[in-house]
Amino acid sequence: MADAIPLPNAEAVLAQARAGDVAALEELYRAFETPVYNLARRICRTSEDAEDVMQETFFEVCRNLRQYRGEGSLWGWIRTVAASKALMRLRRNKYRDTDELEDEAHQGPRSDHGLRMDLEAALERLPETSRAVVWLHDVEGYTHEEIAGMMGRTVSFSKSQLARAHTRLRRWLGEETLV
Amino acid sequence: MTHIDLDTLVRLREPGREPGQAEAEKHLVECEACRREADRLEQRVARLKALPTLKPSRDAWPAVHARLRAEHRVRARRLATSGLAVAAGLALMLLLHGASSSSKALSPALSEAMARSGQLEQLLESYNSDGRITDGHTDGMAGALEDQIARIDRQLEMAQLLRSRERDNALLNLYRERIGLLDALMDVHVTRASNVGL
Repeated sequence: MADAIPLPNAEAVLAQARAGDVAALEELYRAFETPVYNLARRICRTSEDAEDVMQETFFEVCRNLRQYRGEGSLWGWIRTVAASKALMRLRRNKYRDTDELEDEAHQGPRSDHGLRMDLEAALERLPETSRAVVWLHDVEGYTHEEIAGMMGRTVSFSKSQLARAHTRLRRWLGEETLV
Repeated sequence: MTHIDLDTLVRLREPGREPGQAEAEKHLVECEACRREADRLEQRVARLKALPTLKPSRDAWPAVHARLRAEHRVRARRLATSGLAVAAGLALMLLLHGASSSSKALSPALSEAMARSGQLEQLLESYNSDGRITDGHTDGMAGALEDQIARIDRQLEMAQLLRSRERDNALLNLYRERIGLLDALMDVHVTRASNVGL
């Protein structure tokens, strides 16, 4: 996702939005609603959850706009709010990240034989935590340190989740394996 | 060295050095199969980045706006309710005061303070009722002042139960404090309004 979201007259819009101007706040919302939703939807299991995350994100952004002091891109700040909300939603919904159970009990390593998905389906099939890590790291460009901080986990946890995600994606995409 | 496993290939993409990384990098240079695997990993990441952007099916702005407005209204209502309760209590006090000792009218200073407090509340109401959303910073400052005003209002209610001389002094002091807080709250709203050129 591009770091610079086009927002004409960004400074003026920001100043107005910080002062509580409703039209300016809506302009901010319109500029960032799609990237925020996309991020939330890639992390959350359902579109309803993603829409809730989007709403919570913009509510917080509108209330705390003064906290953004122009250091880093505005999108970077909003994106971090959105990512945190999406990860909170995962925890709140008590999605069980059934890495092992899912593979062994429902799909089983053997059931993956001959299975070939497109990338979209393979990504959707990943357990929530793995999918969140792969998306935040590989697509959004967060470091493992940042992901670990947002998830309240260790850097090694983030790294191992990324590696496991790629192992699964490679298998489900029917790509050739070496090992 | 045997081929590099995917876990190591993923870690090789990270900045910084990890144990065994130099050996793995050396192997990668020499092993065509591992280079192909590394390329596939890069391609997979590129394909992830190229996935279509998902768009929301609903417009969430009305809900966000409604939530912001609701929060704003709760805050405004809290202040208005607090002021009304004090005013009602004081009306009762004045009635009792007048009935029991007509010779002891409220001191001019207290009457003036009460009138000033009422004027400021009316002014504040005009700022609060303009339907604008306050940002977090303004909201925080206004909230802190409103909490202090609510505390003063509770003390005013208690002060009404005191004997007349103590009561008038206590009320005067509390009203002066209340006026100071209302003034500060006015400043917050006036500053916010001037920022948007109202």
